[in-house]
Amino acid sequence: MLTKSSSLMRLVGELKKLPGVGERTALRLAFHLLKSPGNLTALSEALVDVKEKVRACSTCFAITENDPCAICSGNRDAAAVCVVENSQDLMSLERSNAWHGVYHVLEGAISPLSGIGPSSIRIAELLARVEAGGVSEVVIATNFTVEGEATALYLTKVLKPTGVKVTRLAHGIPLGSDIEFVDAATVQWALQGRNEL
Amino acid sequence: MHAEKLQSFVLSSLDYGDSDRIVSLFTLEHGRIKAFARGARKSRKRFGPALEAFARIDVQARIKEGLSTLQQADIISIYPAIRADLERIAHALYACELVDVITPEGHPIPRLYRLLAAYLDRLETEAAVEGDRRFFEVNLLNILGYRPSLESCTRCDSPFMEGGAWLQEGGETVCRFCCAGGKQLSSATLKALSACLKTGIFGQIDFPAASMQQAGYLLDEAISAHSGRRLRSLEFLQQISG
Repeated sequence: MLTKSSSLMRLVGELKKLPGVGERTALRLAFHLLKSPGNLTALSEALVDVKEKVRACSTCFAITENDPCAICSGNRDAAAVCVVENSQDLMSLERSNAWHGVYHVLEGAISPLSGIGPSSIRIAELLARVEAGGVSEVVIATNFTVEGEATALYLTKVLKPTGVKVTRLAHGIPLGSDIEFVDAATVQWALQGRNEL
Repeated sequence: MHAEKLQSFVLSSLDYGDSDRIVSLFTLEHGRIKAFARGARKSRKRFGPALEAFARIDVQARIKEGLSTLQQADIISIYPAIRADLERIAHALYACELVDVITPEGHPIPRLYRLLAAYLDRLETEAAVEGDRRFFEVNLLNILGYRPSLESCTRCDSPFMEGGAWLQEGGETVCRFCCAGGKQLSSATLKALSACLKTGIFGQIDFPAASMQQAGYLLDEAISAHSGRRLRSLEFLQQISG
């Protein structure tokens, strides 16, 4: 019989700490790893590497292994900065292949109900970056939640006096969807932001 | 157990697991409840943006003690004008947090529901001002039975005279004979707060600058005493307003 201190149970305990993983899933994953034909060196090395090598870019705060990151040091338009809440959002924008500027990762959004204010996220660093010069446009790509909107409005308030152009991502009805099935709030926003053809 | 249709406001929401959410709702029928919304972050069809703070929604829910289950939510309003203005967002979130922390769970309070609705409707059409916030607060305290005394000393019961009252810890108001220090509240401040309770309509009472400040001292003290903790949204509200 396995004791609590056995390596298998320790693995289950560690897996349970992952988001969305409960006792049964952790046990299933642990047995899968135990029974997997190959050795687990590659997985364990990847886990150690990700913790040791991945860090935040000192310019844009995106996760990277090299500082500055490939985007900040690459051939991108550094005058246009797209502001996102986290690195996952940055990856989504990169997948679109539609943005050729650089990024600034806030590492969160203003959330008054959670006690997260402007000083808790990387707004001061963005402001310093803009005030240092060379930035002509800041595109705010925070989420379209109350927290994301509050962050966007706060950024607009602090960035406008610097004279930089501040823009916000468009929002409305998703591509490929039928208006019939779109919620009333999204239709309301889409109507307010309609374009002349 | 059958699902009930409820009118409600979203007070706050908390992500749970990979795709679920636990929301705090202030309903007309059951007061404040906590409800589990399975798949709320994954399925845009079932909930969409309905579970955002201060959204007014009709919900289908199975009511249980502790944690109810949310089956569906239809948006009545997400208050687009509030969402487009930083100060209005700060005031709306403050109002929601205040209701969230100060009301008991599972007790319908229709008057407070209507007051919150009126305040959010007001914020949707007018700029956020401190007078409206204080109007909301004094009426909220009154509805919940926490209103500070505006007419007479809480210790000796003598009516407040022209000198007004003195504010004590916990929002207690006393006459000059019973006071041992504390901030003075003018009779104009007490009258303005009493008038807020009588009109029931936002925007009717003008607080002179000095009275606004004194009303703030009194209401902040009373709210702090009854909520048991400092409201998180208050710091942001003060930062934005200042």
